[in-house]
Amino acid sequence: MTQTTHADVLGPASDPGGDRRPPRRAGRLARALAPLPWIGPATGLILFVVIWPVIAMFQTSREHYSSLGVLMGSAGWNNFTRLFDEADLGGVVMRTVIWVVAVVALTMLISLGVAQMFNKEFPGRRFARWALIAPWAASVVMTSIVFRWMLDPNNGVVYVLLKQLGLVKNFNTTDTGWLGNPTDAFWCAVFVAVFVSIPFTTYALLAGLQAVPADVYEAAKLDGASPLRTYWAVTLPLLRPALLVAALINVMNVFNSFPIIWELSGGGPGSQSATTTIFMYQLKQSSIGEAAAMSVVNFGFIIVIVLLFLRASKWNSAED
Amino acid sequence: MALTACSSSGSKSGSSASGNTTLKLLAPDYGTAGGPDSSQKYWQGIADDFHKANPTITVQVQTIAWTNWDQVATQLQNKQYPDILLGDAPQELAASGLLYPLTDVMSASTISNLIPVFAKQEESNGVAYGAPFTTSSRALFYNKKLFAAAKITDAPKTWTDIQNDAAKIKALGNGTIGYGLPLGPEEAQGESYLWMLGNGGGYVDSSGKYAINSAANIETFNFLTSMVKAGDTEPSPATVDRKDMWSAFGNGTVGMVGGSGALIPIIKTAGKLQTSDWAVTTMPGKSGPLTQALAVHDDITAFKSGGHAAQIKQFLDFAYADKYQIQFDNEYSLLPATTSASKSLSASDPVAAGFLATVPNAVVYPTNSNWNTVKTKIQQSIGTAAQGTDPSKVLGTLQTFASSN
Amino acid sequence: MTTYTATAPARSAAKATPRRRPPRLRTVVLAGGSYLIALFFLLPYLEMVITALRPQNELKDRNYLPHHFAFSNFTNIWSTGLGTNLSVSLEIAVGSTALVLLVAIPAAYYTARRDFRGKKLFLLLVLITQMFQPTAMIVGIYREFLTFNMIDSVWALILVNAGFNMAFAVWILNAYFGAIPKEIEEAAVVDGCSRVGAMFRVIIPLAMPGIVTALIFTFIAAWNEFIVALTLISSTDKQPLTVKTSDYIGQYTTDWQHLFAGSVIATIPVIILFALIEGKVVSGLTSGSVK
Repeated sequence: MTQTTHADVLGPASDPGGDRRPPRRAGRLARALAPLPWIGPATGLILFVVIWPVIAMFQTSREHYSSLGVLMGSAGWNNFTRLFDEADLGGVVMRTVIWVVAVVALTMLISLGVAQMFNKEFPGRRFARWALIAPWAASVVMTSIVFRWMLDPNNGVVYVLLKQLGLVKNFNTTDTGWLGNPTDAFWCAVFVAVFVSIPFTTYALLAGLQAVPADVYEAAKLDGASPLRTYWAVTLPLLRPALLVAALINVMNVFNSFPIIWELSGGGPGSQSATTTIFMYQLKQSSIGEAAAMSVVNFGFIIVIVLLFLRASKWNSAED
Repeated sequence: MALTACSSSGSKSGSSASGNTTLKLLAPDYGTAGGPDSSQKYWQGIADDFHKANPTITVQVQTIAWTNWDQVATQLQNKQYPDILLGDAPQELAASGLLYPLTDVMSASTISNLIPVFAKQEESNGVAYGAPFTTSSRALFYNKKLFAAAKITDAPKTWTDIQNDAAKIKALGNGTIGYGLPLGPEEAQGESYLWMLGNGGGYVDSSGKYAINSAANIETFNFLTSMVKAGDTEPSPATVDRKDMWSAFGNGTVGMVGGSGALIPIIKTAGKLQTSDWAVTTMPGKSGPLTQALAVHDDITAFKSGGHAAQIKQFLDFAYADKYQIQFDNEYSLLPATTSASKSLSASDPVAAGFLATVPNAVVYPTNSNWNTVKTKIQQSIGTAAQGTDPSKVLGTLQTFASSN
Repeated sequence: MTTYTATAPARSAAKATPRRRPPRLRTVVLAGGSYLIALFFLLPYLEMVITALRPQNELKDRNYLPHHFAFSNFTNIWSTGLGTNLSVSLEIAVGSTALVLLVAIPAAYYTARRDFRGKKLFLLLVLITQMFQPTAMIVGIYREFLTFNMIDSVWALILVNAGFNMAFAVWILNAYFGAIPKEIEEAAVVDGCSRVGAMFRVIIPLAMPGIVTALIFTFIAAWNEFIVALTLISSTDKQPLTVKTSDYIGQYTTDWQHLFAGSVIATIPVIILFALIEGKVVSGLTSGSVK
């Protein structure tokens, strides 16, 4: 967000809003309104589509609804106290932290490797890159449902393979019950989340890699640096902005991710494989107000992540 | 602005100046939306017939897939009330004062034709606020092929029978499941109830107060836990939905499963079992078969907001004709809610007759006004009591929730 | 987020520079490994296609391939009027994408070029929007569109999809516009173009890869959106494919073969679109991601 560099360089002459009238006659008001035609529509759309429902969500968190959605009056802070009294909440929050950290870390690491490979010239590279977009193009809902189908305890193709390899003894036993067991189901969900996050991340890093000027590598080579050393000392630092952006987008997507866990295990058994987003949805079925309270808490988490990110990007620009 | 130009055509019900009335009917889809068995077609058929007979009243039909039934709560929350809703029991909505008493929207002759055990279920404080529309009753389905292969000769009558038979069937190998125990969120309250009843338990005590964590219920779940641990059921029942278990039964891989008539078309569609390969028996209890079957019902309720009591009455009297009741039951293998339709269906359909015979004496879900909320919590968490979590803890949490909400 | 100006010449230089000849074995290993990775990412979708072709009585068989292929699964679901839903999906995706580009391009251009009061606030708003997903706010969204009598309206879906996806577009375009040297623009102005004219004639063509990237992102997100469409749309003929397909998960059964056949149909257009502009996406992200 530190984009003042452009503005510093641009003189008053390059004011895109003020070119039609003489700059002198533009008063304070005109100056203040000048950005409106440019950013007004975007701001309006954000306020209308995103901010309005956020406000509605805050309102709902203070209201009492029956499970069928009938408003029963004000709830004060009851929805919040009941939420914090939920025995499952602690586990759900812990699991959310693990979920975000594990999925994003694995995604970034694997994508770095895949991007490195796909950045090299080899015959059929176009096909390989093209194949990688499939999880990106297909809806996450459908991808999750396919994984659930592939892990069906009765006939999942994954278990069919594992049975042939002798790793699974029989169908419809605990051997094939990954999605029914909270720990296994959670890690299956992590796998699927990494699977669907890799394409975008790889593409972002691939783009970052292609932007690294070749002469940098030439120089490193002349200095006699080993490939590993070059990667560590040259490539990674140059990739850092790309990594930061990819990480942020992944953190947000993964934190908000709903379909993967929902389709694989529904957050169950009980709430034993739920994250805060899933838990919110589970609560919604019995108490809309408490679900809204959970959304408000999620909102708090998001603000914290944004602040952390802003700090990280400042640190980043300060070092340059 | 474009916003107003693109608003949808009136989804609100209302009367126009010419005296025409539009009633909005909202119903779940018991079939596949857009498919030949969609309930949209069933209701549109009735609505069209009705419109022919009553040209001033138009019934606007909307069906929503059961899996997406949450949408109804969203609509109600935003005060988008239909005139007629087919769905859950009326008590919670009645408590909010949204519903017409049944006598305002259905004539006495239609009301007296409703099957008494269900009609009784529609009351809050002695006044009925809804009418059963479709019903079903539960029994134990078993796979005779697997029974024969496991050398079991008799249908199970007690919990011990189920346990022993399940163990033998599981021992056949090849991924066969002894007893299918679907305690996943879809229908956990039904499967749990079947077992609670077998031990003299239930969700409420004789005075109608919640008794979810009664000693009998805890014992029931301890028994279920022991079956799950021994591998007599599928692994991790808390995440297995009824439809998955029914589909597995239809596929011939499950020895026994609790089912209703709706399981029959699934068995037929799967194409793996012949009619002679499976049979139905009364659900076993701890020491003998249940003396009362579990019967469930979906209900019609009518909302006051539109102010169309007279028109709703005309339509409901029309729609509760035997013809439409039986059409629905043939389409989805469910049971009628009226005495006259039951009689004629019993005469023509021996399988339905077997289920219908159990109905007059059936047990039903509680009618406490917060039952819908409690049911949702039960669906989400009761399965964990059979899968490793201490039953007294799970049931205790549910009891606290039920009595404090 | 620093301003690292990835100029086009630097990129083409990277491609043009002769690499040292890699040993043959390395290329073979590299290509082999890459093919394996590619295959791995395709496998679930292969299983989707295979299941979509399974006849009902072989649906739950424990094998990789069925003995017979039931192409009728596709014709069955197509005959339920899927064509209408396909065109609704297209309307939503094209409409949202157009709206996003319409509002995001001027905003991104202005914030990249000018300093003004409230710019930080605007960019912060965009950043926060990026963090929200409609799942958490579905009740509020329903309430809002009810106020405007836009329940069961395709326009509502276009607005929602545009609103929630605009942040990414502003972000990536802002980065892209910022990377275009301002001298190019000034030269155009000197040549007699107005500011707006310069934007259309010079800047937008230069920023095309970034625009294509924003386009594909919005299109895919709108195409695959499920929860809002499920909640706002009640008429069958206004449902997008995602909602329509979910109907195959019924009360008593899941029609896996039809569910997956619908999904295959829904996925193919996106994959084709993506394959057509794959190269542009990489170069579009190049500038965006290094911001």
